[in-house]
Amino acid sequence: MTAYPVKAEGVLGSDHRMGDETFIASLVACVAVGLFLIASVFVPNFFQPLTMLNLVTNNWAVISLGVGVTFLLVSGNFDLSVGGVVALSGVLAVWFAQSADGNNALSTGLGFPYWLAIVCALGGALAVGALNALFVVRFSVPSIIVTLGTMMLARGIAQVITQGSQRNTNLPPEFGILGNLTMFGTSVRLPVVLMVVLLLVAIFIEKKTVFGRLTYWIGANPVTARLSGIDRAKHLTYLYLLSAGIAGAVGILLASEFRSGYSNRGTLMEFDALVTALLGGVAIAGGFGSVIGMFFGALILAVVTTAATGMILSPDWQFILKAVAVFLAIVTQTWALARRNR
Amino acid sequence: MSHTPAYAQSRPAGGPVARFLRSYYIYLVLVAVVVVLSAANLDRFDLFERGNFLNQNNIINILRISAPLLTLVGAFTLLMVSGYIDLSVGSAASLSAVVYALFAIHGLPFPVAFALTLVVGAGLGAINGILVVRLGITPVIATLITLSLYKGIALLLVEDGVSAIKSGGGLSMPDWFNSYGRIGVMLGLPAAFWVAVGVTLVLVVAQNRTLLGKYAAATGGNPTAARLSGINTGRIVFLLYVIVGMTAALAGIARSSFMSLGDPLSGDGMELSAILAVLIGGTAFAGGEGRVLRSFIGALIIMALTVGMLILVPAYFQTLLIGLALLAAAASNHLISRKEVVS
Repeated sequence: MTAYPVKAEGVLGSDHRMGDETFIASLVACVAVGLFLIASVFVPNFFQPLTMLNLVTNNWAVISLGVGVTFLLVSGNFDLSVGGVVALSGVLAVWFAQSADGNNALSTGLGFPYWLAIVCALGGALAVGALNALFVVRFSVPSIIVTLGTMMLARGIAQVITQGSQRNTNLPPEFGILGNLTMFGTSVRLPVVLMVVLLLVAIFIEKKTVFGRLTYWIGANPVTARLSGIDRAKHLTYLYLLSAGIAGAVGILLASEFRSGYSNRGTLMEFDALVTALLGGVAIAGGFGSVIGMFFGALILAVVTTAATGMILSPDWQFILKAVAVFLAIVTQTWALARRNR
Repeated sequence: MSHTPAYAQSRPAGGPVARFLRSYYIYLVLVAVVVVLSAANLDRFDLFERGNFLNQNNIINILRISAPLLTLVGAFTLLMVSGYIDLSVGSAASLSAVVYALFAIHGLPFPVAFALTLVVGAGLGAINGILVVRLGITPVIATLITLSLYKGIALLLVEDGVSAIKSGGGLSMPDWFNSYGRIGVMLGLPAAFWVAVGVTLVLVVAQNRTLLGKYAAATGGNPTAARLSGINTGRIVFLLYVIVGMTAALAGIARSSFMSLGDPLSGDGMELSAILAVLIGGTAFAGGEGRVLRSFIGALIIMALTVGMLILVPAYFQTLLIGLALLAAAASNHLISRKEVVS
């Protein structure tokens, strides 16, 4: 029996060795820093504090969405509906807040007070999350199909409310505050601060709470999780509500920032959130990954796309760059883990 | 036939009426859709200036527009039956459309351009196959990667400042370019539609009468058992990805010819329509069962509905309706397959 604890120590990564997740997260962080240094050599004016700050602040929306998507991926499920929910909640917030006496259909809303409009818009986002949970948990439909459907449903409702265009008139003056409020006398805006808070809370939940650890368990081995008496249905429902709630908040903040509800806002954001999670080492099969890794994955994506823009590549390159980046990330991470645990 | 897997021999349970409904519901849905759309008196809206939904010209028009999707769904069904998925078909179709238009505009004759584009499509499918089978990347992620990759290449192949490959700048599209997708050759329907029918017939035979169909069902039904029975599941899946790539290329050619353009965005969303058609056709998510012909009918239903809805409601309802249809198809698919498991 002596061999067993030694092996377990190696696999589970106790005191002597960092865990696989920390290892991958550090790897991703090193790649992000390395890519930044390489980009600094090739792209003029890249190596500046402002650039570093912008890499984070310009991507607050995708990073925030990435938190919910990461938790779901760790539990073994996709959420492709977040981009649609961003559009839906933004449009709903605008529609609810617009005063009821507009000149035409697109400038006439329901005239709710602003706080009530936000609450109702969040409610709409959570309803999409509940729908995801219903189909995935109760009907056992694969999450990729369900969330593709709800993505189109959410964006579709947004398009119907805005008649395929946008609503940006007849809004109360306080509507633009939330998304544009700068904090601590710097140029950092409220959404960025909220993103940082969200990241810290998410890391705490992931590492230190029973809820977080159960998420890994469900993803790693759904059968043993069920046999151990874990209520998978309830857990996944919470995760889908969490993801939709974050997406709803992002949508409301974006609507506030631009003072408009635009039905095509957040297009491809579900894709970017998935890409950042994959770049950050979250395993698609579930049970493996970390929020901090996702954060550095987002930085990798930001460095790559910013550098490409800086080198005046055509914007069409972004699709190829994302594809190559995800491919390399998956291959190297699989290789690194296999080599480490050999 | 002694090695036919047990699930392949099982018959859906229930009374004769239930069994009939489960086998033929898809045709009833198609008839219902056509009847409703005809009764909705579409000629009021005068979209095609051709009168009623069941008007000959309207039917020909719908079938012409449907050719790309009809070509694609058969192979897509076989891939889903084997338990895999290809999300890159839309991008592969776009890329093929652009490549085909480039070949044509640079003076290659029709058969050469057609054959070369098919080879490109097979190559795109092979890349998917390598990512999934050789490198072991989850199908959804592997084909999301190539979705992005193929779309990026298609966009790059079209010069900055123009939206698609078309006549202009000293080059012009040859005269034959849009005859494949538009000019009627039999019963007023163009070659693209008959190619779709031909591909579907070949795949129906392949599914029912050849080892490919049997092995695909075995791979999807129980991959481990299939491997242990000596089926080279990797090769089957690879082959299916190549076939899907080729039908995506055919779809791209049909779309490109119909529009007389090589549009790098023309295939966007085609993967959703294909999934929707396959789901409506009753193919199981988890693999193991599904019929090529039912997906073909499913694709006809979708196209009839799409064209009908475009006339009945404003265009901005489109996304919502597709989303609702996808969720409804997923839910009903679940209910149908659950009944069979329970009984």
